[in-house]
Amino acid sequence: MRHPQKLENRPGKGREDIKGIHHPSGEPELGHWLNGLAQAVVMRDCKAVRELTEGLVLGGMDLFKILNQGLILGMVGASERFRRGQFYIPELLMSARALKIGINILRPLIREKKERVPGRVVLGTVKFDLHDIGKNLVNIILEGNGYEVVDLGVDVPPERFIKAAEKHEAQILAMSSLLTSTMGWMKSTIELLERAGMGRVVKTVVGGAPVTPIFAKNIGADAYCREATSVAAIAKGLLGIEENGQPSFIK
Amino acid sequence: MGNPQNRKVGHLKRVILACSVMEQEIRQFQNGKAEFKFFDYGLHWTPENMAKALQKEIDQVTEEAYDGIVLGYGLCSNGIVGIRARRHRVIVPRIHDCISLFLGSPESYRDQAVRHPGTYYLTPGWIEKGETPLSKFESYARSYGEETARWVLHEEMKNYTRILLINTGVSHMEPYRNVARRNAEFLNVSFEELEGQSDLFRRLVCGPWDENFLVVERGGSISQEMFLDL
Repeated sequence: MRHPQKLENRPGKGREDIKGIHHPSGEPELGHWLNGLAQAVVMRDCKAVRELTEGLVLGGMDLFKILNQGLILGMVGASERFRRGQFYIPELLMSARALKIGINILRPLIREKKERVPGRVVLGTVKFDLHDIGKNLVNIILEGNGYEVVDLGVDVPPERFIKAAEKHEAQILAMSSLLTSTMGWMKSTIELLERAGMGRVVKTVVGGAPVTPIFAKNIGADAYCREATSVAAIAKGLLGIEENGQPSFIK
Repeated sequence: MGNPQNRKVGHLKRVILACSVMEQEIRQFQNGKAEFKFFDYGLHWTPENMAKALQKEIDQVTEEAYDGIVLGYGLCSNGIVGIRARRHRVIVPRIHDCISLFLGSPESYRDQAVRHPGTYYLTPGWIEKGETPLSKFESYARSYGEETARWVLHEEMKNYTRILLINTGVSHMEPYRNVARRNAEFLNVSFEELEGQSDLFRRLVCGPWDENFLVVERGGSISQEMFLDL
């Protein structure tokens, strides 16, 4: 059994600073803290995540660097351990909880900084499927990256996906499924989207433990998301967003 | 009648490799023509390990005196994908998971799932060899304390609305009924009990391996597509 990393052991601790705020200064120190932040997510240490995220913000580090190379990198580590059987559902959920704490600190700052929302995503778990751990993680990560997310919850029939995509003028429709018996609903939803004449406007991305790249291709999805943690990069690719953060092409 | 090859096959034995949650239901059809091996339920926790463990066993069946290796598994979150038939053909029920076996057919399972998507299924074998929400909670609480365990279990189970206990006819049900009821109370969901059907188990062990089964011939391997109706 792993124990949460003690704060005393985390990188950066011990620096003398004003009013007990240990904010880092200088690039090497910042890098050290960033690494510590990723570790704190893996180790499910909510307190350390809060302190390190705040410290890095105060230290002036780029917000997306804190997000992607600290928080999300930590979640990638947790997800990999889950896949390998070193972590089980409790550890995964606790890492996601720690991630959310850090993202909640960054989110308003990222929103403030960005001139426009990079995209609007309609998200949900498909019909007859009630599993939402991965889907909720996708929501956290997309919102952290500034996306507007319309989360329809679980057991979402194709018609609801399409109506919501239309109503909210979404650019991306993201579907999750944890059961091989419900994956077929992703296909039904994509077909309905096509029939509604929205297939060229709304890009589809599918994911969930039993979903494979072959399956995604066979049902005509625009993208396959293997890990919730990679959803922001996939969304960027689908929207043709360049490194400057502005959409260059929306189908 | 006159085909010597058929007569020969009739005398051959088969190997049944199955999940321990269905041991009792399978053993009721023990007929001297099948050899059994049951695997720990824990293989489900990491589906990648399931295929490895089963393949290792399949590879060890090298004698010719068998007419096939039967898997007492469903697709189980792709846990059996990639399994290869070596010296013998591999037979597997064409189902998503074992609930179809306990209920007797994929159609019965679909009916239940459509009417109550939020169902947590229990059987005597699941209670004894698998896990229940309460057993998960107890295990989480030992590792993380009660408060965290409650939060984790809530996150995991919050969308479930019913516990369905399947009476598979091989056990005295009262103790299992009590456990299932306690689980329903713990989750604050409804409790129901349903009679299972043993027919699919019978065909699994004794044949015939009809349209509800996939027969993977020597050299072939199991893929996800074989189980999907797209």
